[in-house]
Amino acid sequence: MIEFLQIFVDRLPQWWPEMQTAAGRTLLLTVYAFMLAIAFGLALALAKLSRSTLLRRIASIYIEMMRGIPTLVVLFIIYFGIVPLGITLNAMTAGSIGLGIHAAAYVAEIFRSGIEAIHRGQREAALSVGMTPRQTLRHIVLPQATAIMLPPLMNMLVIVLKDTSICSLISAPEIMLRAKDLASTYFRPMHLYVLAGAMYFAMAWPLSLVARLWGKQLGRGRRPI
Amino acid sequence: MFAAALLAGAFVSIQIMLGALGIAIVVGLAMALLATTRIVPLRWLVACYVEVFRNVPALTQLFIIYFGLAQVGLRLQPIPAAIIGLGLGGGALLTEVFRAGIQALHHGQREAAVAVGMTPIMAIRYIILPQAWRIVLPPLGNYSIALLKETSVASAIAAPEIMFYARQLVTRSFETPLIYSLTALLYLAMCLPIGRLVARLERRSRAWQ
Repeated sequence: MIEFLQIFVDRLPQWWPEMQTAAGRTLLLTVYAFMLAIAFGLALALAKLSRSTLLRRIASIYIEMMRGIPTLVVLFIIYFGIVPLGITLNAMTAGSIGLGIHAAAYVAEIFRSGIEAIHRGQREAALSVGMTPRQTLRHIVLPQATAIMLPPLMNMLVIVLKDTSICSLISAPEIMLRAKDLASTYFRPMHLYVLAGAMYFAMAWPLSLVARLWGKQLGRGRRPI
Repeated sequence: MFAAALLAGAFVSIQIMLGALGIAIVVGLAMALLATTRIVPLRWLVACYVEVFRNVPALTQLFIIYFGLAQVGLRLQPIPAAIIGLGLGGGALLTEVFRAGIQALHHGQREAAVAVGMTPIMAIRYIILPQAWRIVLPPLGNYSIALLKETSVASAIAAPEIMFYARQLVTRSFETPLIYSLTALLYLAMCLPIGRLVARLERRSRAWQ
């Protein structure tokens, strides 16, 4: 055990610069993918709540489909699968897009259930006491919908962060790929994968704690959905 | 020809999923029961397990178990490594699910059971678990679907499941779009029926409440 730790102490200065750069890439992938997921997910949620049957149908099919396909398969289709069609993306771009459009399906459901969870009596009551539709949205609907949506969105962010590890399989230069390279150079897989795990934990745990805290604070006195 | 290889992979995927599900349920249930005891160090231990496994990617866990343990002298085959890795990760998730299920029951249930002369273990076995079971069924179903999709990651440690065969077929035939589309369809064909089943169970558990 002491010997095991000693190797960490000796080798960490050598490993750290590369791992730090890789951690930056992981964060970048997470941010891009999550922004795409929010934008696309919102569009999907609005399509699903719209009056047009066609839009609703398309959004439902997309969401159902994405939820039945592993992230890895989506990434492979985007990175390798469309090359014969003449589109080549670099690994970071393909990773961001793949994770983003996959997570969008889950984000859409979070938005939809958040908006639908607000009883329409709330909106009607606000309008009947003289609020404008804009005020109603700003002061009545959004605060309540946000309370419901924020914790699951935060959990989704953690899931996206963890899923970036899969981008190593399409050679995006993030934590897992660097760990793998260094592990084969130094023949220390245990040390490097534990180090990688610790780095993911250091990034994901605070986010998980915030998600839980928000869930407790904002959800107080409300039945969970 | 492609279909045959992919179906062989599907068989292994389902094997990994069922194995991991079994481990996850056993570990999750044990941890959830420990988390509801009054012994504080035990609760801390469970909390550590849950937080660590919930905040580290499945791929990293698999690499530690498959490549990392080999370094310290414990060599596992890819399929058992995948089952153990995914199972332990799932156990952390199910610990939360089961604990929520147990705590959702009114504490009067346990007190009443003990009051009529049941031992604490009998109370858990005959009063708590049968009721908690109905509460945890829907999240358990959703987890099964997520798990089936997560087995695709096991291709990275060379477990011969769907993605593993798909990648092999691609390097042999170069029919990249066709093979990965087939792969996606195959996963869909496996996930959708489970999704339907979960939705039905969910409706039934709601009717019961």
